[in-house]
Amino acid sequence: MSKLSLENVTYRYSVGTPFCKTALDGVSVSFEENRVIGLIGHTGCGKSTLVQMLNGLLKPTEGRVFLDGKDIWENPKEISAVRYRVGLVFQYPEYQLFEETVRQDIAFGPTNMGLPQEEIDRRVEEAALFVGLEKETFDQSPFELSGGQKRRVAIAGVIAMGPEVLILDEPAAGLDPMGREEILGGVRSFQKEKKSTVIIVSHSMEDMASYADELVVMDHGKVARTGSCRDIFSDRDSLLGYGLDVPQITRFLIELNALGVPVRTDLFTVEDVRKELLRLYPSLAKGGKR
Amino acid sequence: MNNDPFIKIENLNFAYGSGDEMSRPILKNINLTVEKGSFVAVLGHNGSGKSTLAKLLNMIESPVSGKITIAGMDITDPEMTEEMMIEIRRKIGMVFQDPDDQLVATIVEEDVAFGPENLGIEPKEIRRRVDEALKTVGMEQYATHAPHQLSGGQKQRIAIAGIIAMMPECIIFDESTAMLDPTGRKDVMDTILRLNKEHGITVMTITHNMEEAVYADRVIVINEGEIVLDGTPKEVFGNVEKLHSFGLDVPQVTELFYELNLSKCRLPSDVLTEKEGADVIARMVL
Amino acid sequence: MITDITLGQFFPGQSVIHRLDPRTKILGAIFYIVIVFLAKNVFSFLLLVAFTLFLVLLSRISPKVVLKGLKPLIIIIVFTAILNLFGKKGETPLISFWIINIYPEGIRYAIMIIIRVVCMLAGTSVILSYTTSPTAITEGIERLLSPLAVLHLPVHDFAMMMTIALRFIPTLIDETDKIMKAQTARGVDFSSGSLIRRAKALIPILIPLLFSAFRHAKDLSIAMECRCYRAGKGMTHMTTHRFGLRDYLSALVMCAFCAAVVLLNKYAPGFSL
Repeated sequence: MSKLSLENVTYRYSVGTPFCKTALDGVSVSFEENRVIGLIGHTGCGKSTLVQMLNGLLKPTEGRVFLDGKDIWENPKEISAVRYRVGLVFQYPEYQLFEETVRQDIAFGPTNMGLPQEEIDRRVEEAALFVGLEKETFDQSPFELSGGQKRRVAIAGVIAMGPEVLILDEPAAGLDPMGREEILGGVRSFQKEKKSTVIIVSHSMEDMASYADELVVMDHGKVARTGSCRDIFSDRDSLLGYGLDVPQITRFLIELNALGVPVRTDLFTVEDVRKELLRLYPSLAKGGKR
Repeated sequence: MNNDPFIKIENLNFAYGSGDEMSRPILKNINLTVEKGSFVAVLGHNGSGKSTLAKLLNMIESPVSGKITIAGMDITDPEMTEEMMIEIRRKIGMVFQDPDDQLVATIVEEDVAFGPENLGIEPKEIRRRVDEALKTVGMEQYATHAPHQLSGGQKQRIAIAGIIAMMPECIIFDESTAMLDPTGRKDVMDTILRLNKEHGITVMTITHNMEEAVYADRVIVINEGEIVLDGTPKEVFGNVEKLHSFGLDVPQVTELFYELNLSKCRLPSDVLTEKEGADVIARMVL
Repeated sequence: MITDITLGQFFPGQSVIHRLDPRTKILGAIFYIVIVFLAKNVFSFLLLVAFTLFLVLLSRISPKVVLKGLKPLIIIIVFTAILNLFGKKGETPLISFWIINIYPEGIRYAIMIIIRVVCMLAGTSVILSYTTSPTAITEGIERLLSPLAVLHLPVHDFAMMMTIALRFIPTLIDETDKIMKAQTARGVDFSSGSLIRRAKALIPILIPLLFSAFRHAKDLSIAMECRCYRAGKGMTHMTTHRFGLRDYLSALVMCAFCAAVVLLNKYAPGFSL
């Protein structure tokens, strides 16, 4: 049984007005436990709608959403319990901070859940550790922090709610390489330790190649493809058709292949390509065959 | 490209506050000359001081010491008149990160007209410039749209059109693609390149994204308020280890070649694109 | 959803009305409202309806759009009509049961109110809001009020503020929507609990929104300075409106329409509403 799944879900905005728009069109997809899943697709493909569907912020116009095999809308009054179990971090989450101190802001979600104080404290510290926030910042105002730190406070605020599924919409958008690595690495270690399901929406194929176990490709309100990074990235033509591309290192392999060098083209991290080239051509390490 | 310096920065120091309240130095002894018609990328991680440089060039902040000359005018001169300031701001346009925070009017073409209107240009001439600017950024069919109906990349191109309509000689792009999706980023990047190559506008992009810097004629890396690397993209990106230590990335192919060289290969360190990389490897193994 | 609110009602076009000076249109709209309330009998009302239709056709805005624009106000229209239907007392009730008496006067009044409100909304929309860009409206107001600048009233600043407010309403609505969703995901409940609880639930929305508004204000002011803005000093306008033949003619038409309504009120026999 999958952790979280959508069954034939359709969603239309502004039904009954001339602005009516179908954002999701009969989507069926399931997300398994204990892995990082990358959700990729061109802007406007329905990714943002899909993630809001997964934690009950939006209700499907048609179709059903299952969490642990149970329809989340069976009892609409209990939807907030679903939101605690499926944590959602929006794009630019630093703009939702509001408390006086970092500690209070991270504790906001857990407090709303009605947890006892010691448990809240424990979770705040644990969540801060995952995203790499130093303890010195705890009593500072979140508004005094740098952009990257604010982002980490906001993500910690959702992690502290102890979600079984954590969804992040473009968590690294606008950050520099170091900031990206810190956040994505933190999310990865959270996933490893909690064995939870993590869904990351991203535009960066390079990031997906290094952090995601599986990919879900969306196009025009539908799920176009699902599979491992290898499955998805070894079919560049269809990715191009969805307005996406493969990582640069994979394009390099394709280019090399076209020049008549018989390398495999289904690798997508620098490390794998390095190993493959050295395995195929040990002579490279001695300065080529010349 | 000719050799007239458009921007000349000499011994520039900057810190926030003054006297005893002064913060740690943000920019330290910067010396930099940008030639007319060139395309310079200023690369640095967040908080390296690179955005402060943009604010100094546009007189949003003034330096603690040092001199900045733009098109022959000393912009650090405390006696500068308002007319001079307007003239400098006209010559050196700025495009910022958040496209929403740059658009003033509720209709695209009226927004593009805002700059020329402030400059007191004749209505007929404004009309001509607005139409031309919208055409240059490829947004003419959106002239009567409202900005909030547009995507981030489209809004950013409108912001650029608003600057072009002032007929600047130089445009500074301060993290202008950071908030955009890949399509928007590409459209804006193409527009920037066209402005530089076809319209001869001097371009300075301030960014932490190495993909943008690859297109520049010259890359300047700032770290902890100091210029640490300066050269063509090929020269700069060859320093993979250094760039990593400054919290910056290099293209994946450059990274691969660097890693292979660590495994005792002898490959060129200045390969940036997948095409170049494939050519080099193919020549060696075939 | 909160973002469904349609703003920016302006429909760009090239009709006669579109091309009028915004000042003419602002004054025209005010004048038009006055005339709507002058109409008193069947004939003047018929003229009013005919003239409104004429304006709609002249604006080349689809009547469908105009009708749709009235839709959100239906409740208000019906409510006022009903209030008048029951509230107006006459001599002999037409229908009478329990404590409710409906007099013929009430019915007439209700009909009159409906026609007035519909004509007023449809008329002012096609004269002003549908055919004039918000910037042009602000420019019009600025120029109409410009004599006040002599008294050192900041007329230009006021107009600029209006433009920016109009520009940022959709942005801030989007942001409110996003922040509300983000806080809902963190367990805030806006729809249940006591009044105090619900008021408290607004804090996590209002503070981020306020910060966001300040951030926009700061960044926008820098961007405006960089675009050589100096509080309207020496500023020109791309579309300068000057009173032309068109404007004088439309003033004449409005006056004639007003006179016709007044004359019909006075001399058309019987049928007073």
